Amino acid sequence: MQDNILEIKNLKHSYDASKEVLKGINLDVARGEVISILGPSGCGKTTLLRLIAGLEKQTFGSININNNVVSDNKNFISTEKRDIGLVVQERALFPHLSIIKNVEFGLKGSKNDKYKTAIDLLKLFKVDKYAENYPHEISSGEQQRVAMARAMAPNPKILLMDEPFGALDHALKSELRDEAKKIFKDNGTTAIIVSHDFEDAIAMSDHVLIIDEGSVTQKGPAKDIAVIPRKNSFKIA
Amino acid sequence: MSYKDFLNPWIILPTFLFALFVVPVIWIIFSLFGNYSDNWVHIYNYTLSGYIYNTVLIIIGTSIGTLIIGVGSAWLVTTYNFTGKKFLEWALLLPFAVPPYILAYTFTGLFDSYGTANNLVRDLFSLPNEFIFFPKLRNVYGASIVFSFTLYPYVYLVSRMAFINQSRSMLEVGRTLGYNKFQIFYKLSIPAIRPAIIAGLMLVLMEAISDFGAVEHFAVNTFTTGIFSAWFGLYDFHTAKQLAALLLIVVISFLILEKYSRRKSRYSSGSNVFSPIAAEKLNGFQNIFASLFCFIPVFVGFVLPNIQLGYWALNYKLDFFNEKFISTAWNTFYLAITAALICAMLAVIINFSIRYKKNKVLNVMSSFLTVGYAVPGLILALGVSQLLVFMDNLIFRDYLNFILTGSIYGLILAFIIKSFALANSTIESGFLRINHKIDDVARSLNTPGWKLLFRIHLPLLTTSFLTSMILVVSEVIKELPASLILRPFNFDTLAVSTYIYAAEERMFDAAAPSIAIVAVGLLPIFVLSRLIVKSRPGYRNNDNHYQSY
Repeated sequence: MQDNILEIKNLKHSYDASKEVLKGINLDVARGEVISILGPSGCGKTTLLRLIAGLEKQTFGSININNNVVSDNKNFISTEKRDIGLVVQERALFPHLSIIKNVEFGLKGSKNDKYKTAIDLLKLFKVDKYAENYPHEISSGEQQRVAMARAMAPNPKILLMDEPFGALDHALKSELRDEAKKIFKDNGTTAIIVSHDFEDAIAMSDHVLIIDEGSVTQKGPAKDIAVIPRKNSFKIA
Repeated sequence: MSYKDFLNPWIILPTFLFALFVVPVIWIIFSLFGNYSDNWVHIYNYTLSGYIYNTVLIIIGTSIGTLIIGVGSAWLVTTYNFTGKKFLEWALLLPFAVPPYILAYTFTGLFDSYGTANNLVRDLFSLPNEFIFFPKLRNVYGASIVFSFTLYPYVYLVSRMAFINQSRSMLEVGRTLGYNKFQIFYKLSIPAIRPAIIAGLMLVLMEAISDFGAVEHFAVNTFTTGIFSAWFGLYDFHTAKQLAALLLIVVISFLILEKYSRRKSRYSSGSNVFSPIAAEKLNGFQNIFASLFCFIPVFVGFVLPNIQLGYWALNYKLDFFNEKFISTAWNTFYLAITAALICAMLAVIINFSIRYKKNKVLNVMSSFLTVGYAVPGLILALGVSQLLVFMDNLIFRDYLNFILTGSIYGLILAFIIKSFALANSTIESGFLRINHKIDDVARSLNTPGWKLLFRIHLPLLTTSFLTSMILVVSEVIKELPASLILRPFNFDTLAVSTYIYAAEERMFDAAAPSIAIVAVGLLPIFVLSRLIVKSRPGYRNNDNHYQSY
C-alpha cells in the first residue's frame, strides 16, 4: 500500500448556496511526491489549496494529512497546527523583517539553531548573500527563492504553492523551476503546486490533476498528460 | 540658479513666505542663547521639574491610551465583521471634532464631585451626598484620559490605512508557519505597521504637549501653562520665549521621529500582486466585545460630551443665540474663511511654482513651510508677536506705534503658519492628479504661467481647493492659545469665549460656542472618511478622469 501524506475525499465547497466551487474532489498524494493542480482562472484550484491549508473550511468531505483527519464535518484543525508550508504568487515576504529573519520566523529553538537552519536554506536557494537585506531590496526572482526557503524552513509535511512562478519572466521562471524541482527531490519534499501554466505543471511535477469548473477532468503522471492532454479538458495558456 | 531666476515672481513669493514662516520660530529658538532673568532662575529652581514631570506623565498616559484605543479599534474594523461595524468604522473619527479643552470642560461637568454622573449614581442608588463614585479627573491622569479619547483618531487613522494595505497572503503565510490569529496580530501585523503607528503617535504627542486649554482647566502645570504664566503673570516675555524654546525642541524631536517613521512606513513587499484582507465574521461574546471596544471611544470622546453640552445648552441657556454669540461666531467664521482662503491660494501658488519652475530649492522651502502645523499655537503667538512688534518699529515708528501688533493681521498670520500644511497636502495631491502632459501641451501653445494656472489648473483643482479650505476652517475654529493671545482687544472667537466662560466656571454659557466648534469640526471628518475609502487598494477614483487625457 502506498504511503499517502494527503488524502482528500469527496471534497465540496461553495461560498454561497447558488454556486458550488468544488464538486467532489478526490485526491491522494504520496510522500515525497510533487503534484500540480492545473486549471483555468476561477476553476477552484486555489480554493482547493486554501482548504488543504485550513484557510477555509469545506462544506462537505474530508481532508487527511499524515493519516490524521484535519478537516471533516466534525473536526477542524487550524492552519497553524497542520504542519504545512505556503508559497504564494505575491511572495508575501514580511516587509519589516530582513531576509534571514523572514526565514527564521517559523523556526523554533535556540537563536543559533534558527540562524543555522535559515542560512543553510538561503544557501540552498542561492540567496544567502542577501541575508541581511530587506525584501524590497532584492529582485522578484530572489524574493520568490526566499519565500520558498521560508516555507521549507520548519520542514513542513506538505509544501503548498499557489502560482509560485506566475509573476516571473520566462527565463527566470525556467531557471527557478528547475532549481526548485531539484531541491524538492533532494529533500524528499512533498509539494502541491497550483498553476494555470501547463508548462510549469509538466516541468515541475510527478503527477498532474486538471480541474475545470470545480471537477477533476483529468489526472495522471505528468509525462502522460504532456503527451496526451484530453480533448477539451484544459486549454493551454 | 542665476540671479535672474530669483527675480522671477514664481520664486520671490515662496521665498518671502518662507522667511515670514520661519522667522518667528527662529526668534524663539535664539532666545535660548540670550540672557537668563531672575524669573528664569526661579522657574528653573522650583517649577521646571514639575513641568517636565507632568509632561512626561502626559506623554506616557496618552501614548498608552491612544495606542490601545487607536490600534485596537483599527485592527478590529479591518479584520472582522461585527455588529455596528459599518457605522463604527467612520464614527471612530468623530472625536476629531471635539478639541481636548472642550472634552475637559464637559468631563468636569460630568465627573466632578457634584457633576452630572456622580449625581446620577447617587440618585439611582439613593446614596448620601458625600458619596463620590467617579474619582477626581482634574489632575494629570484626567488630562491623559482626555487626550487619549480626543486624539486617538490620529493613531486610528494611520493604523487603519496601514492595516487595509496589509496583504492577506502575508498573514496567511504567517499562520502556516505555526502562529495563531492573536500571535499573528502582535508578532506580524503590528510590527509590520509599527512605523505608521509611531508616526500617528508622534502627532498625538505633539498635540498633547502643545495643549493649553485642557491642562489649564485641570490645573496641571506643563510647559504651556508655564509659558502663559511667565508672560501674563510675571510679564516676562523673554523667559516665556525661553520656556517655549525648550518645548519647541521636544516638539521638533517628535516631528523628526514622525517624518522618519512615515518614510520607513512606505516600504513595500515589492510585489505587484495584492490580496486585501477578507474580514471574518464574529459571533457571540467576541461580537459583543468588538462592538463595545469600538463604541466606547466614540461614546466617551463624542457622544458623552455632546450630551453634556446639549444638557447645558437646553437646561440653562435656551437663549444662547444671543447677540454676543452671533458676533463671536461671525468673528470666528470670517477669520477662519480668510485664513483658509489665503492658505489655499498660497498652497496653489507654491505648488504651481514648484511644478512650473521645477526648482529644487523651492521644493526644500515648501517642505519647511509645512512644519508650521507642529509648532504649538502658544509658541507661534510668541513668535508672531515679536515679529509684529519688530515690523511696527521698523515701518510705522515715525507715524503711529503698534499698527500691526494687537491687530487681526497677526492672528491671521499665525493661523496661516499653523494651517498651511493642511491646505498644502490637499492641493499637492490635487496637482499630482493633473497630468504633466497638459502643461507640456499648454506650453507648446505658448501659454504664459499665469494663464496656465488660472485657466487650466485652477478649474481642475476646484475640489482640492474647497477640501483644503474645509480642513483649515475647522482647524482655525478649534485653535485656542494663539487666538487668546493675539486677538485684538475686545475681539472674541468661539474658542476664546468657550475658554473664558469655562475659566469662570460658567459652563452653561460655554455650551453654545462649544457646540458650534464641534459642529464645524465634523466637516473634515466627512472628508477624511472619503479619503479612507479612496485609500483602499483597488479603489477606482472617478475624480481622476483628467489623468487619462
